[in-house]
Amino acid sequence: MATFLLEVGTEELPASFVASAIAQWSARIPASLAEQHFAPAMVQVYGTPRRLAVVIEGLPERQADRQEDVKGPSVQAAFKDGVPTKAAEGFARSRGVSVKAFEQRQTDKGEFVFVTQTIPGRATVEVLQALVPEWIFGLEGKRFMRWGDGDHRFSRPIRWLVALWDDTLLPLTIENGAEVVRSDRHSMGHRVLSPGAIAIPSATEYVATLRRACIEVDPQQRREVIITQANAAAAKIGGVASINPTLLDEVVNLVEYPTAVVGTFDADFLAVPAEVLVMEMESHQRYFPVLKEANNPDLLPYFITIANGDPTKADIIAEGNGRVIRARLSDGRYFFDTDRKQSLDAYLPKLETVTFQEALGSVRAKAERIRAIALQIADQLSLSDEQRTHVQRAALLCKADLVTQMVGEFPELQGVMGETYARVSGEAEEVAIAIREHYLPKGAGDVLPHTRIGQVVGIADRLDTLVGIFSVGLIPSGSSDPFALRRAANAILNIAWDADLPLNLEHLLSQVVTDYGTGTIQDPAALHTQLQDFFLQRIRTLLQDDRHIDYDLVNAVLGEDDTDYAERALKDVLDVRDRALFLQSIRQNGQLTAIYETVNRSARLAKQGELDTATLDPSTVVKPDLFEQASEQQFFDALTQLVPQTQAAQANRDYQTLVSALANAAPVVERFFDGDDSVLVMADDAAVRRNRLNLLALLRNHARVLADFGVIVKSDAPANPN
Amino acid sequence: MNFQSVIATLHQFWGDRGCLIVQPYDTEKGAGTKSPHTFLRAIGPEPWSVAYVEPCRRPGDGRYGENPNRVQHYYQYQVLIKPSPDNVLEVYLDSLRALGIRPEDHDIRFVEDNWEDAAVGAWGVGWEVWLDGMEVTQFTYFQQCGGIDCRPVSVELTYGLERLTMYLQGINSIFDIQWNASLTYGDVHFQGEVEGSVYNFEASDPEKLFLLFGLFEGEAQRLIQHELVLPAYDHVLKCSHVFNLLDARGVISVTERTRYIGRVRSLARSVAQLYLQQRESLGFPLLKGEREPVA
Repeated sequence: MATFLLEVGTEELPASFVASAIAQWSARIPASLAEQHFAPAMVQVYGTPRRLAVVIEGLPERQADRQEDVKGPSVQAAFKDGVPTKAAEGFARSRGVSVKAFEQRQTDKGEFVFVTQTIPGRATVEVLQALVPEWIFGLEGKRFMRWGDGDHRFSRPIRWLVALWDDTLLPLTIENGAEVVRSDRHSMGHRVLSPGAIAIPSATEYVATLRRACIEVDPQQRREVIITQANAAAAKIGGVASINPTLLDEVVNLVEYPTAVVGTFDADFLAVPAEVLVMEMESHQRYFPVLKEANNPDLLPYFITIANGDPTKADIIAEGNGRVIRARLSDGRYFFDTDRKQSLDAYLPKLETVTFQEALGSVRAKAERIRAIALQIADQLSLSDEQRTHVQRAALLCKADLVTQMVGEFPELQGVMGETYARVSGEAEEVAIAIREHYLPKGAGDVLPHTRIGQVVGIADRLDTLVGIFSVGLIPSGSSDPFALRRAANAILNIAWDADLPLNLEHLLSQVVTDYGTGTIQDPAALHTQLQDFFLQRIRTLLQDDRHIDYDLVNAVLGEDDTDYAERALKDVLDVRDRALFLQSIRQNGQLTAIYETVNRSARLAKQGELDTATLDPSTVVKPDLFEQASEQQFFDALTQLVPQTQAAQANRDYQTLVSALANAAPVVERFFDGDDSVLVMADDAAVRRNRLNLLALLRNHARVLADFGVIVKSDAPANPN
Repeated sequence: MNFQSVIATLHQFWGDRGCLIVQPYDTEKGAGTKSPHTFLRAIGPEPWSVAYVEPCRRPGDGRYGENPNRVQHYYQYQVLIKPSPDNVLEVYLDSLRALGIRPEDHDIRFVEDNWEDAAVGAWGVGWEVWLDGMEVTQFTYFQQCGGIDCRPVSVELTYGLERLTMYLQGINSIFDIQWNASLTYGDVHFQGEVEGSVYNFEASDPEKLFLLFGLFEGEAQRLIQHELVLPAYDHVLKCSHVFNLLDARGVISVTERTRYIGRVRSLARSVAQLYLQQRESLGFPLLKGEREPVA
């Protein structure tokens, strides 16, 4: 068994591509080898900014010979009266055998002739020579480039190739226009710590050889070194390194030989909000900030940079980086000082010059609309007068920081600066916090707003965007959702669900559509329907994907082509969530099974009747004098008993009481269907038939208070179909 | 090393490596890339190696001379080599050595940074070069210019001359750069920064600028009709500069902005195509028989 090494040397790759290429090769190379009938003992992929490499252990000299059955024509077509036909001879010729080699075998399409051939295994190195270019140019990534006068596309130019079969060079060539890269046993050492070529004696010595040339090819090793060194460096200055995981992922692939270097800046800069300092350090310089203590955002005037240079030059490196961050922080402080020269509300007029969307006017106009919507939400939530005042103020000011210099320079600080400037301007604390919080969540999985004011303004802002953007026809389709409207609708639902806000979305949507006015909206009814459908789809997705509710139970609470359920869901977004969660819980604890047969069967049969879906009381729609069996009277009595229980359950949203009551009624309904005195529902007599169908429809109506049982699938826990 | 020695050293270095040393182009522009020595020469199959200093104007970056790092007029040192050679990163590191910066003593990083200038339909892939955390050079492999695929690919290096010199001189304000032994950058440019900022943000007349944009655009279109590549391109540059002045005044809304950029881009594309046709009809003279025309 042999070991194969491939190293693709490049100019500096983007950090994100290094990570992605390692993941792609880790999946594809084993699969590609398996297709060629290899089962290597180990496939290990490495990568640095200047190289991607794979070491494959346990490869045989050759593929094993293998038997392959080749199917020919049907026996009927191959032989006429026992004599081989032209078709048979043609097939034999194409496989290089005589017709005597044919075997006849039965298949599901009839009897066919087959030949069994031995395919000799190819030399592994030959196979690898064919596979390697596929591996390299099969990698995918964003923004690939061409270079020189060639046509190859890759993340960055490819400059060298190492390909070793144990200690033997495997010849490979990449031609890119006039440039030709031929495989070699020479890799390249670290640009400054070990410049120049370094010979790899054999494939198994790859990692160790490069380590001697100051290259750590294993990203996991680099990650550990970075964490250890950053923590130690922070401890030395009495602080704690703040290691943002996303930044760490990037930094791992920005260096070949990591060294933590500590630099410092003037403590005066700590007067600038920590968010500004952290952003300057993290996003612009890829530094780790240093905290005073764990879990406390207060900073120390230090930073840690992970250098790729000579550890003995740490002082020079620290000094250079220190000058850069001081210049950047001066900029930040300048913006901070300038912005604070006027109060936050003084920025409002300038918002008129910022376009929200061409047809929807300025951001100033949007702020006004947010305020109106937020007040409607405040009504629904019965907020206090004080809260209403805060809601209005926060809504008015929530976008004002967009025209400050700091946010103009660092757009990612929107909201954060608004909060800071609101405080400086003497706004109420609730208003300041809400200005920041109304942007939350910033993405899937981000934190949600904690304060009521922040929740209300955040929902109002997104509702305005949704209705506005829908009204100008920019409705998301497929993967195209440039205004992130799906995310906006998800955020509205998640905020309401998380804070248990009993929103009536149905009412809000019609209000907002009306308020936009006929000037903007041509067909308000159609727009309203589009928005309803959009929100229902979001509810469906969130319940299935985030809350892990089975698809059929989601259908049961949202209804299938049943506008009652759709409207009910939008009128009370908490209730639809609670019913879905409750259904899932009774499926798990078995209570659903106890009522499933009777309720589902009733619901399905009741469709053949005419009773409306609202009636619960049997006294007006069922005539006891038409009963032929005792089971019918019992069913009637059970329904009569159910009425007060269902009504109470409906009023209190106490679905457990309803389900228990339905479970109590189940034996009676079973007896009606299948007992000794069961009846035939579809009786010949129309009056009797209607009477019995009405009994079933009434049971269905009771169950409808919870869900549409007709669409629930029988199995205890059906797998999602997608 | 003073400012003028930095320039002289880079001229010597790149001149020794086969680059034509040319002079700045005499029309206002936001970046060295927009000089026809780069923007037009990057198009088409003819080889080209050039180095020059380019004054750049970024009206919106004016800070009335109050910010030590940000100015509305500054210099770039620009190198363009077509086709991109395979050892260009090593040569670049040698250029730092020539300036007295030993890469061995520092943390030099090539950090992904892809460049795009939508207003001239150009984009490329490359890095910003970090010297101990400071961006000192922009490196770009041109993929498209004026909407035309670059074949072969040029590589562009843009040194931030002021930053490099500040680093070499160990100073923290652009205005303190020692230009020669006796005069500073501030002596030469401080008053210009103050006045430029006043003009860019206060004294410019947006109505006249809108008018000028239209006039320059019309001239560019007319000159494109006359197939006068360079005169047409001069007017594209003027459009671009007037647009930057309007932008600095904050009188262009986000949506209008896209539309103005689109107008400049469409002119730049026409000029780029015209240039390629012109070179082709001249038989791509710089190929000198080394290579068959690609187009």
